[in-house]
Amino acid sequence: MIQLYNFPGGIHPPENKELSNPGQLVTLPLPEELIIPLGQHIGAPSEAVVKKGDKVSKGQLIAKAIGPRSADLHAPTSGMIADVSDQQVAHASGLKETCIRLQADGKDTWHADITPADPEQLSDEEVRQRMAAGGIIGMGGAGFPSNAKLATDKPIHTLLLNGVECEPYISADDTIMQVDSDGIVKGTRLLMRLLGQVKCIIAIEDNKPKAIATMQAATADEAAIEVVVIPTKYPSGGEKQLIQNLTGKQVPKGGIPADLGILCVNVATVNAIHDAVYLGRPSIDRITTVTGKGVNKPGNYRILVGTKVDFILDQCEIHANANKVLLGGPMMGFQLPSTQVPLVKTSNCLLIPGVDEFPAADTAMACIRCGQCEVVCPAQLLPQELFWLAKSDAFDKIEQYNLMDCIECGACAYVCPSQIPLVQHYRYAKGVIRHKAQEAKQAEHAKLRFEAREQRLIDEKNAKEERRKARAAAAAAAQAAKRANQADGEDPIAAAKARVEAKKQAANTPATDTKAEPSHKELKTAAAIARTKLKKAQKAFADAVATDHPDTDKLQATVNELTQRSAAAAEALANFESQLGVDPEAIKAAQVEWAKANAKVRKLTKLAPEDDATEAVHKEYQQTLATAEKDLQQAESHLQSLKNPTEESS
Amino acid sequence: MMRFFSSPHLHGGNRSQKIMLLVIIAALPGILTQLYWFGYGTLFNIIWATLLGLLMEAGVLLLRRRPVGFFLKDGSVVVTTLLLALALPPMSPWWLVTTATLFAVIFGKHIYGGLGNNPFNPAMLGYAICLISFPVSMTVWTAAGQYLNLADQWLWFWTEQGQIDAITQATPLDVIKHLSGSTIGEMWSANPDVVAYKAAMLWINIAYLVGGIALLFLRVFTWHAPVAMLAGLAVMAFLFGAGEPDLYASASDHLFLGATMLGAFFIITDPVSSATSRNGKLIFGAGIGILTYIIRTWGNYPDAVAFAVLLMNLAAPLIDQYTRPKAYGQQS
Repeated sequence: MIQLYNFPGGIHPPENKELSNPGQLVTLPLPEELIIPLGQHIGAPSEAVVKKGDKVSKGQLIAKAIGPRSADLHAPTSGMIADVSDQQVAHASGLKETCIRLQADGKDTWHADITPADPEQLSDEEVRQRMAAGGIIGMGGAGFPSNAKLATDKPIHTLLLNGVECEPYISADDTIMQVDSDGIVKGTRLLMRLLGQVKCIIAIEDNKPKAIATMQAATADEAAIEVVVIPTKYPSGGEKQLIQNLTGKQVPKGGIPADLGILCVNVATVNAIHDAVYLGRPSIDRITTVTGKGVNKPGNYRILVGTKVDFILDQCEIHANANKVLLGGPMMGFQLPSTQVPLVKTSNCLLIPGVDEFPAADTAMACIRCGQCEVVCPAQLLPQELFWLAKSDAFDKIEQYNLMDCIECGACAYVCPSQIPLVQHYRYAKGVIRHKAQEAKQAEHAKLRFEAREQRLIDEKNAKEERRKARAAAAAAAQAAKRANQADGEDPIAAAKARVEAKKQAANTPATDTKAEPSHKELKTAAAIARTKLKKAQKAFADAVATDHPDTDKLQATVNELTQRSAAAAEALANFESQLGVDPEAIKAAQVEWAKANAKVRKLTKLAPEDDATEAVHKEYQQTLATAEKDLQQAESHLQSLKNPTEESS
Repeated sequence: MMRFFSSPHLHGGNRSQKIMLLVIIAALPGILTQLYWFGYGTLFNIIWATLLGLLMEAGVLLLRRRPVGFFLKDGSVVVTTLLLALALPPMSPWWLVTTATLFAVIFGKHIYGGLGNNPFNPAMLGYAICLISFPVSMTVWTAAGQYLNLADQWLWFWTEQGQIDAITQATPLDVIKHLSGSTIGEMWSANPDVVAYKAAMLWINIAYLVGGIALLFLRVFTWHAPVAMLAGLAVMAFLFGAGEPDLYASASDHLFLGATMLGAFFIITDPVSSATSRNGKLIFGAGIGILTYIIRTWGNYPDAVAFAVLLMNLAAPLIDQYTRPKAYGQQS
């Protein structure tokens, strides 16, 4: 037995877990339509590899991961792609997101490539590949891609399986531990194999006796796996709280569990890893608790990713007077603005409260600083101070009070005698702070780019000047050499005479001849002027016609003349340019290239990783960005050289 | 239109009114003991102060254009006026109670923006202003157990006329303060009235202690501030009194005389005006204990809890600044 250290704060809300019959798994019938959002995981949205009208079979890849924190998506059943379009997704604000809509054909046929394998015969690399191909992300709610989590370069000594499930009402993990303990243990062994010498702890709250018994039986022969029963207290399942409870240590601020040598994975995720490696089946379904007094058939359902909430509510027989649907549990879930949205890989609970189950909060009264919130805060913050600061928009100060360490568990609001919606205040302040940080980052970035551009222009100018000087020097040297030749072999008097003669001749020749060929720039200007004049004349003519002005004939003549001139100027320019080698098609192509590169840079600046991302992610992002900017610079100079070949060669 | 709520969607059912009610119930043993020893005066104080307090609160809310019913319902003004009435001497006339209530409710609370915004404990502010302005009236106590009957008390309350013999102006703390050459033991034997008074105060303090411990177990407040105050007071009394018991009152006298227990469990636990964090409350409470001893022993006023509380109220924001707890992940 390992020693438990407890963690500060916490509350004991009514659990109401029996309502959803933990341990009994029901499979829902196949829905007709599935909507699979491309951004289910924490990183960049995946890229669809199917298009409207494509036939897909169950488990077939339909979207590819983009970047390290992204994950593949697979068809949850066989059918036809209806389209790839923006659809409303499960978000508190009802945001839309690109989704693949799949029309099920009802046959549910697996893709031919999906084959089981014996991991004993596979190399570690092959196991990782099968895992990555499964598109597995953290199913406890975070949505962090599992293979990215495993790819940590920090030494890991403990694999921590989170089967705590502390949130009231939810029993999805409880159920999966009861029905799939074999898969969980096999998946655990795989992870332990990939991580090297590690021990494993499976943490379960003591309100799940059946799951504890099942897991203990399943791990009886495993010396390195220990099932640890922890006392029921919300939020003991929070990753940081769980680690503190089990080790007495705290994950450092801004750090991750791997800093302590711990890798924390949800039990459902481990089962999905088993399915992907042993069976070749990607992550296309999950167990979701549908519960609350607002449905007739609460329970734990195996639900395909992309199933619409509406369909589930129908199947579970929602009451006519149920007035809200929560995604997630009562403490941290949010109210869905629409039931036309799909469930995703991270959706562990749909909660449909009965009419009186969650009475609306009274109007918030004044904070009396009673400090009950401080007593229950598991992050050891001062919720009452945070509230005052958030209310007065003191965003700098509120960061000093560690607002960003708030895990939004809601314990403070649960105990608040004044019924203040504290978490809402914290979310607001966090939103403002993130927005400000993002803005500052973009401004800083724009500044860097501007400075880089200025420097580049200066460099180019200097280089040009250098070249000019070099040419001048060369010319001077040639002149001197020529003079030296002349001085050597010719009569100086004859030479002087010849120079006078040459001067005379030059004076007699007509001015037009001495004038150099018009430059590229001048031609361009001339053509532009001619075009403008023509346009003006045309307009005057049109006005004159419209007003029956007597001078229309005269104007008509002017227009004709200008048309000719303009055409001539354009032709001259075109001739000149074709001689120089300016190719309008090439310019157009270069412009498109430049626009692409520019768009890419802009997109990337918006996708900057959060501050709390790991260093590796930051580094990778910086590299990607640098490459994109280099591409942009090249595109720009290429375009300039095409447009102005004269300047480049002069 | 659906109404939207932010998580959490569950609430534990705790209410501010419930806390206020618990405080009032926990004060009952103390109130009854006080009535037993000092008569109906305290009852008059409570009724008059509460009536006035509610009226004043309603009036100010109207002036401030706030919903009157909603704010009256929170019960905070009743707790304020109750504590004030308990602190005032039982022989207070109506105008004294009125003045104290006025300063407590309007100047102590609403001037700063109402409940939750007051930097000072309102009851102690009202009490201190009266103590400074009307020092004579504020020290009129009946001798313990020899109180006026209801009709005489009624007369006294409105007119200050009545049986003067039963009235004393010397409380035990006064006696200790004005030794003028004699020892404490000599003073006790010279003043049998005061000894009876001392016994009464002991009972009253025990009653408040019992109520306070009940609140502690009901988790209305944490142990930090009360324990720190009592410890601060006891340590000071021990440091100065242990060597010279004839000149300095003992620690037990300090703990069980005057408003010590009322202060420790009902006054300084007012969350609004005290320090916030648990460590802050320790400093806050200890400061009050030490200041109480200093003012009682060397200051001009016999009892000192009110001034000690007000002084530490002033220090609370600074204490908060330096006692912020380390958040998760910042401990190395």
